[in-house]
Amino acid sequence: MPLDFAGLADTLRRVTVEVTDDGAARGSGVLWPRGYVVTNAHVVRRSRVTIGTLERDHLQAHLVARSADDDLALLRLVGVELPTATVAETAARIGSLVVAVGHPFGLRGALTAGIVHAIGPIARNGVPWIHADVRLAPGNSGGPLADVSGAVVGINAMVAGGLALAVPISRVLDFVRSAGVAHP
Amino acid sequence: MDALLALSNELAGAVEQAARYVVGVNGRRRFGSTGVHWQQGLVVTADHTVEVDEDVTVTAPDGRTLTATVAGRDPAIDLAVLRVDAGDLAVAEITAEPARVGHIVLAIGRGPRASWGLVSAIGDGRRRRPETGDWLSLDLTLYPGFSGGPLIDARGRVVGMTTSGAARHFQIAIPAATVDRTLDELMRRGRIPRPYLGVGTQAVRLPEALRERLGTDQRTAVIIVDVQADSPAAAAGLMVGDVLVSLGGTRITEPGDLRAVLHPHQVGETVTLSVARGGEPREVRLTVGEKARRA
Repeated sequence: MPLDFAGLADTLRRVTVEVTDDGAARGSGVLWPRGYVVTNAHVVRRSRVTIGTLERDHLQAHLVARSADDDLALLRLVGVELPTATVAETAARIGSLVVAVGHPFGLRGALTAGIVHAIGPIARNGVPWIHADVRLAPGNSGGPLADVSGAVVGINAMVAGGLALAVPISRVLDFVRSAGVAHP
Repeated sequence: MDALLALSNELAGAVEQAARYVVGVNGRRRFGSTGVHWQQGLVVTADHTVEVDEDVTVTAPDGRTLTATVAGRDPAIDLAVLRVDAGDLAVAEITAEPARVGHIVLAIGRGPRASWGLVSAIGDGRRRRPETGDWLSLDLTLYPGFSGGPLIDARGRVVGMTTSGAARHFQIAIPAATVDRTLDELMRRGRIPRPYLGVGTQAVRLPEALRERLGTDQRTAVIIVDVQADSPAAAAGLMVGDVLVSLGGTRITEPGDLRAVLHPHQVGETVTLSVARGGEPREVRLTVGEKARRA
């Protein structure tokens, strides 16, 4: 049986967008929940941003909610129907394979792969993050960290000590819920 | 995607297995390192991470702190063995199957934390160590604190002990069979003896004429600058000015090689040295001694 990373990349590229704010590409985002984009708070500075997909550029989105603590932002797409990502129902396991899709240094839809390195706080008594042994670069921020079924397990947020740090999907769910947006 | 999912689950399962026998080792002032509960009551770790002989502790997977004593060291392969009262701590499953280039492997650090990659080469690209089996060069990241932890296969079986301290520029693992051999020595003698020759050496270039006479393409060797009295080297008749080219068939290209080729199990054994004296090749038989233990 082949290890189909290419098929996995295709699945994730369809639900990963580029977020442009104030004329500059700032990072990535995930099409989820339906009609919305989840990304990092540090990617979005203004209330109106531009979204680019594989096929379409210059789509409009409005900032709905932002949490600097969680480094999450929620954008609503304006007048457009786009595919929606699948999110994982269970927490990531240490050692499991994960992939990241994003736009590192502007390279659109780049795929990197690795494993979950650890799950835990960055600082003592902090909230848990997913630490992944996956190569990320500026431009991956806000993009998906997904398991090999293509389900999103976290939102990539930063790089520390060579490791990717992603906001676990459970915290993303809480954030979207607190923004008053229903999700399946 | 089924094959990917199966592999992913296997890797995650392997980490869970390993987490039961991977311990934290607290033996240096900086951040701690990792150890493997290799045999009941014996924890294997990287020698360079155990900077003290006393007040070493081990952190069990459940967070308990266990007192440890240093049972022995083999700096030649960066291995230290700690004795702990491990109770019901799980013992690692060690595989004797040799790792192959291209195998997917995981390095596990205390926590547990995991890193994955491939066995990229057998050997560290420089020396061959037929005596012990070669080191494994790894294409993976050994994060801070990983040294001394297990290198495991996708089934969770230990194929080696990782260390970043033994070879510059390389992430390497000591094969499990090499660790086993050193542990056998510890069991047999009650300690890990440190091999002793009794020479001081410096690197020296081998002129082409001498290389031809020796029948080697080796460019450097070591020249003996000191022979300690009553040492194995003195007993074997080695003299200051002798150029030592190989030991037991393994090339000696710099002083560090002498330390790297001598292993605890060779103490008391006779090895053959290839030496050039006054430009003449000769063979010297030497019985490896044991370095006196510190009081």
